[in-house]
Amino acid sequence: MIEDTDELTARIAGALRPLPFVDESAKARLLVAVAAERERDRELAVRRSFHGRLAWSVAGAAGLAAAVMVATLTLHQAPHTVASAPAPMASTAPAVQLAAHDANVDPASAPQEVQLVFRAPAAGHVRVVGDFNGWDAQRAPMAREAGTGLWSVTLSLRPGRHVYAFVVDDTLWMRDPRAPAAPDADFGRPGSVLLVGRP
Amino acid sequence: MTRNPLRLLRTAPPAIPDIPDTGDDSATRSMLVHAARTGDVRAFAALVDAYYARCLRFALHMLSSRSDAEEAVQDTFVRVYKALPAYEERESFEPWLFRILANRCRTAGARARRHAEFVDYGEVPERPAPAGHDDSIAWREEIGLALATLPEEQREAFLMRHVEDMSYEDMAVATGAGISALKMRVKRACDALRGKLMEVDRD
Repeated sequence: MIEDTDELTARIAGALRPLPFVDESAKARLLVAVAAERERDRELAVRRSFHGRLAWSVAGAAGLAAAVMVATLTLHQAPHTVASAPAPMASTAPAVQLAAHDANVDPASAPQEVQLVFRAPAAGHVRVVGDFNGWDAQRAPMAREAGTGLWSVTLSLRPGRHVYAFVVDDTLWMRDPRAPAAPDADFGRPGSVLLVGRP
Repeated sequence: MTRNPLRLLRTAPPAIPDIPDTGDDSATRSMLVHAARTGDVRAFAALVDAYYARCLRFALHMLSSRSDAEEAVQDTFVRVYKALPAYEERESFEPWLFRILANRCRTAGARARRHAEFVDYGEVPERPAPAGHDDSIAWREEIGLALATLPEEQREAFLMRHVEDMSYEDMAVATGAGISALKMRVKRACDALRGKLMEVDRD
């Protein structure tokens, strides 16, 4: 048996043992990275399932193409949905294309434009994260409307239920106070539910 | 009085209602691991809370750079999340976690060494003299420097044994090395650290 502890070793270990300072924003980035990974897995599963369905319905391909055209026409005529607040926003709000436009897209999941509005007068910047952008805060910055304290962004989202949150100044993760709270928000963080209308 | 509206809306992290606090850390952590395996994201976040600081301590001592260490810890938990479905609960979670962490640190260390080969030595700043520091800070700095000179596998074994208080059995799981080899690595690390720090004392 090799003896590996003595007084000096114990002193060395004692000096190395204190836990380091934990930067909470690094921990937040970690959880966002894990959430993004989870979302990628979900998206892959959905794609696999969709392509599987396509393989079984080769005969329906022509009908699918016609349905895509109908859905596109309907979408062009549809008014914007204001999901969070009815306040009219300045035209400077960025339109962020988050739902992939794909020739293979299922017509039932054709994206619709949705405007999110959040009030945070003291914020330096606000971003929206959600299942629709892989919880990646870099992908959907919101624009400030001068003098009102409001921030907005217009997203192109597939119909269905989405969970999202606002990230204020890269550190503060907040749910939308004007939307229902999501009981299943990712990683114990606050989140809200957004329902994008289906016919 | 003006109040910051953001402060009013700040939300406390939600509790994890499904996981009872048994007062026993290891039992609570086992329940967290079990819940995280079944897809409970709040349990996974609680696991990150429970282990983040220890993982960061190990990575900092292995890599000597906060940004590299934080990145290694982040990679570790992303990989833990992806590998959880394949994790066998009869294994101990902690050595399994440290196996992934040690691998990430080795990869990050190799990347840092490759990068260092391209550094123009004329640009490397000299380390400032520790003048004005009190003795305990100077002592910790000397230990950090002595630790950094150890071969990677000795440093890793020393930290697991004497800082993380892991058993040799758990270290074998975490490193993939045999127990005798690990004892030898720890002994060599202790001898080298003693030698270097006694030299400092003599100076």
